[in-house]
Amino acid sequence: MEISREIFWNVEGVRLIVYLLALIPIFLLVFGLWKKIKLWRIGKKENRYDQIWRRIGTKIYYGALQVRNLEKIFPGIVHLFIFWGFVILFIGTLIIFLQEDITLPIFNYNFFQGNFYLWYSLILDLFGLLAIIGVLLALCRRIFLRPESLDNKSEDFLSLYWFLLVLLTGFSNEGLRIAATNPDFERWSFAGWQIASGIKLLRLDIASIQILHRISWWTHLLLAFGFIGYIAYSKLLHIISSPLNIFFRSFEPIGLIKPIPDLENQETFGVSKLEEFTWKDLLDTDACTKCGRCEDSCPAWVSSKPLSPKKVILDLKSHLLEKGKLLLRKKELNPEKNLIGEVILEDELWACTTCGACVRVCPVTIEHLLKIVEMRRNLVLMQSRFPSELSLFFKNLENNYNPWTVGFATRADWAKDLKLKLFSQEKDIEYLYWVGCAGCFDERVKKVSRTLVSILNQAGINFGILGTEEYCCGDSARRIGNEYLAQILIQQNIETFKKYTIKKMIVSCPHGYNIFKNEYPLSGYELEVIHHSELIYDLIKKGKLNLGKKLNYKITYHDSCYLGRYNRVYEVPRKLLKALSLNLKEMELAKDRGFCCGAGGGRMWMEEKLGQRINQMRIKQAQKTEAEIVATACPYCLTMLEDGIKELEIKDIKTLDLAEILELSLQK
Amino acid sequence: MNIVVCLKQVPDTETKIVLNPDSSNILTEGIKWVMNPYDEYAVEEGLKIKEKFGGKLTILSMGPERSIEAMRTALATGADEGVLLNDSAFEGSDSYATALILSKALSQTGYDIILTGKQAVDLDCSQVYAVLAEFLNLPYVSVVVGLELFPDQKKALAKRETEGGEKELIEVNLPAIFACQKDLNIPRYASLPGIMKAKKKEIKKLGLNDLGLKPEEVGEAGSKIKKGKYFLPPPRKAGIKIEGEIPEATAKLVKLLREEAKLI
Amino acid sequence: MPGIFIIAEHKEGKLKKITFELLSQGKKLKGKSGEELCALLLGSNIENLATQLGAYGADKVFFLEDETLKDYTNESFTQAIDGVVKNQSPSILLGGATAQGKDLLPRVAARLGTGLAPDCVNIELEDNGLLKITRPIYAGKVLMEVTIPQSRPQMATLRPNVVEVLPKDDSKTAEVIKSKLDLKKEDFKSVLKEILKGESKKIDITEANIIVSGGRGMKAKENFKILEELADAFGEGTAVGASRAAVDSDFALHDIQVGQTGKVVNPTLYIACGISGSIQHLAGMSTSKYIVAINKDPEAPIFQKADYGIVGDLFEVVPLLTQEVKKLKSET
Repeated sequence: MEISREIFWNVEGVRLIVYLLALIPIFLLVFGLWKKIKLWRIGKKENRYDQIWRRIGTKIYYGALQVRNLEKIFPGIVHLFIFWGFVILFIGTLIIFLQEDITLPIFNYNFFQGNFYLWYSLILDLFGLLAIIGVLLALCRRIFLRPESLDNKSEDFLSLYWFLLVLLTGFSNEGLRIAATNPDFERWSFAGWQIASGIKLLRLDIASIQILHRISWWTHLLLAFGFIGYIAYSKLLHIISSPLNIFFRSFEPIGLIKPIPDLENQETFGVSKLEEFTWKDLLDTDACTKCGRCEDSCPAWVSSKPLSPKKVILDLKSHLLEKGKLLLRKKELNPEKNLIGEVILEDELWACTTCGACVRVCPVTIEHLLKIVEMRRNLVLMQSRFPSELSLFFKNLENNYNPWTVGFATRADWAKDLKLKLFSQEKDIEYLYWVGCAGCFDERVKKVSRTLVSILNQAGINFGILGTEEYCCGDSARRIGNEYLAQILIQQNIETFKKYTIKKMIVSCPHGYNIFKNEYPLSGYELEVIHHSELIYDLIKKGKLNLGKKLNYKITYHDSCYLGRYNRVYEVPRKLLKALSLNLKEMELAKDRGFCCGAGGGRMWMEEKLGQRINQMRIKQAQKTEAEIVATACPYCLTMLEDGIKELEIKDIKTLDLAEILELSLQK
Repeated sequence: MNIVVCLKQVPDTETKIVLNPDSSNILTEGIKWVMNPYDEYAVEEGLKIKEKFGGKLTILSMGPERSIEAMRTALATGADEGVLLNDSAFEGSDSYATALILSKALSQTGYDIILTGKQAVDLDCSQVYAVLAEFLNLPYVSVVVGLELFPDQKKALAKRETEGGEKELIEVNLPAIFACQKDLNIPRYASLPGIMKAKKKEIKKLGLNDLGLKPEEVGEAGSKIKKGKYFLPPPRKAGIKIEGEIPEATAKLVKLLREEAKLI
Repeated sequence: MPGIFIIAEHKEGKLKKITFELLSQGKKLKGKSGEELCALLLGSNIENLATQLGAYGADKVFFLEDETLKDYTNESFTQAIDGVVKNQSPSILLGGATAQGKDLLPRVAARLGTGLAPDCVNIELEDNGLLKITRPIYAGKVLMEVTIPQSRPQMATLRPNVVEVLPKDDSKTAEVIKSKLDLKKEDFKSVLKEILKGESKKIDITEANIIVSGGRGMKAKENFKILEELADAFGEGTAVGASRAAVDSDFALHDIQVGQTGKVVNPTLYIACGISGSIQHLAGMSTSKYIVAINKDPEAPIFQKADYGIVGDLFEVVPLLTQEVKKLKSET
């Protein structure tokens, strides 16, 4: 017997009807997609068409290989089964189409036979089975486990049940066919073979099996066609929108905020209306599968603030549907729903610490962060609406170039007795040590600055400071949305850098590190930026530091969001600690999954009035490691965690900067 | 309503003040110049009055060219135009001469209400608004922490902060001068479009002749006060940690507070 | 004939301390110039105060009486004073740099066409008959000397609590010259409608002269009571403040939070109890004239900014402090 199967076995003469019927789901899909594309294109232009090969690669990595999805192993595997099941079965159907309608009639070539057919049958059965297992597990997760971040709407169940039925009827098709035709090679369709064996037990005659088969076949066809047609009108859209979203993702570092170009000549700033987002922003809203991972990792959400990245995206999605439709028809929304204030509440926007966990964890690479900052820009620059405590913060930056009401003339007082080189007075200095606002003025952080200076001196590094010519780097101002103020500070710093042709910078604050490294180049100045932990580790490796004293502390390391997630510097601080022979125990949320201290995004300068205190939550997480010291690499984290320890009145844990820990182990 | 706010550009309160070599004045290098903080309340009040009753808000300032920067800050929040009184002859004017110069300008701009800050944080005289009131024959209320206007009745009700938590409620005829105190209102932050628009708003410059003044009426010549030497107060003593057992230390502290700080 | 005139201030039937300070200052100047020291007393039904003025050094008291002068307004008082001064032509006219003085004297000076040196901390008489006046500028960061060479009278307002009050001599009396003025209310464009007293003794911390502030070290809301007792011991013009840590821990309400995200205060005395002194807190009170810190931790940053510090348990120190202050005050 020929090793193959007849495609339209038992359903002769339906070919034309099937093809005609097929037009319906295809039409629905294409039409639905077209409408969606029109909605996305309401957004402004944005160039995401560069680096095509890299995009294809990223699509494979995140899409095909589901790498991020698998970070949560159980739902990751469940989806992997469903996803690959769908894909393989879909390809399987395409192969049949190819055979039936192209290669056979046009080229008279039958490839659907022999070994090809056997492997085809095996693979399809395998993946079909995996898909069924996946769907059943998914249903179990929704019905029994009920994780909080998963909202169980009827649409979610409908999609799962529908797909399940398509799969089951597919298998019943196969089983019934095999039961009737009974070719031995069909053992390769192992699942279908077992089903057929089961059917045979019913001892039905061929005619009955054939009737049942026809019923199953038509059911399967209609369900499958319906499923395809349903895609564009349900969460199943993610089958198309999510891969698209991955393809068009940003390759820029997480949290990179570009300067508003040509400030002088713009009329509006930031985003206050739906159509002021870019098309990619709008695509993001349709790529969301409501998995809830962003919400689970958001420090604001888990500390009971009103902000949930998932909610922001989904609220934008409904707003797009509502307003987009009217915009396309050139009708007015009456009354116009305010994007900021009604669709997204101001409290949500201000609660964000810009930690980037949401962006890092999203399996379909949605970019929540920038949308929040763009809306903040509108609030600050256009509406002058922001938490009242920021008025003084802005004024201080404007008048004294630091966030506190301290005269800028005293910026170098912390180093009065240290006789440091000043760029204004000496030439031939290799490194600029950027002290940063906290390092100059905050009593606790001054200790870190002085410690670092002592280390640099011991290692014979040729460095100097800018002293009173150092202005705030502009990070907080930009994150809060006050781009005008940020640019004033940035331009002033760039003038100073140009004046002294600064080429290399050592900085102990990750916020400074991030903005100098990634954003100053966009405003016209590039320089080599080294975090103090990187420098110190380099010095240790080169043997320039006299390490001697063995340290005997149980230690854990808190990753700074701006050093870690933003710039992927995870290993160097850890290697540094290990080089000091410290017993390092990781917190559960560490490295790129690190939990924010709560101060980023300008929140350091705002009151935390809602929910729990993020810094206290982080300290409690640190306590679980039984560490005596929490090592930090950032003055914000240092301040927040120390405050957390004081607030919780914990005695047996303390925070130290990496430089301070190193100092403990230096031989004098 | 024709609202005029008198504004002065002063050194930022955190700026380090250094005396010039002959102690005749402070050094102006390295100073961050800002709008007098109390004037911010005057500007905000002016904006609120304009929003409520309509009209025009003019910023009036006597000072060097750089004062324009401070005026632009006010224009950025919504003031309509500025008038800068600038002339080398005006330099060195005391409160009396300054008020004379302002009064001449105000006669030209006209006014229904004049707002100022309660004092300028450079020379801390807290006088100009009063002398101005004399020249213009107007009533004034100083240290205003509350203000209600009744333009049709040409009256205003002002709350004046005195001492010990007390306030006076004073009714004045309009036009009048109000010297604004902190917490009269919450000064608004300028929007970026506002800042951009401010760059194009008109700032008229008037000099000695435009105001019809003679050189001997203004500047040092026209001042009643003659400035002498500037000097620095004795440096603040470094903080001391009072030694001893608690009861002794406490007693010592109280003694120090009475004798050195003269507080009890 | 010239004279040294001072403007007496009174409230609720009693002379205010500034009046005695002015008289003491006047006495010093009189010692040099030999002129008569006269006090201007304005009001209604306060003649009895004239005797006190004599005891503290006034040779003459010009008692300007009128119903309209019962309430202070700068217009009516200026008119009254203008009359006497034009009549008597004193060489010097002094007032207090008090709320009233700061409001009144500038108008008087303008009316008289003379110069006024406000808020002075030192007034001396030179041999040439000119006052050499020292006054603070730039919030006290700089002092400057001024003179009033031409116009008369030479006017100045004296900063309170700077001149020590010389002991009174009850044997001395002043000649009282009473004038009944005929001021008409209709002539004036301003009228005092009402005096609003503060609610009990709680004045806003931004207005307080002395602030006793508590931080995380207070441990509980109830413990703020000891701070209130200390504040009360100091008397009028005092308030209780709190650091952000204390407010966040619900020991105190936000309206008394001192700091960058709370209120910025500028008292003469700031007593920080159990406050570590983070830079955000300092930003709210660093312009205080005198800062006292009480903290268990000798390393607390607040000690860097404090003029006087006690390293100790605030629960021991504060009640003792209250006692000592009360003792000292009762002795005055």
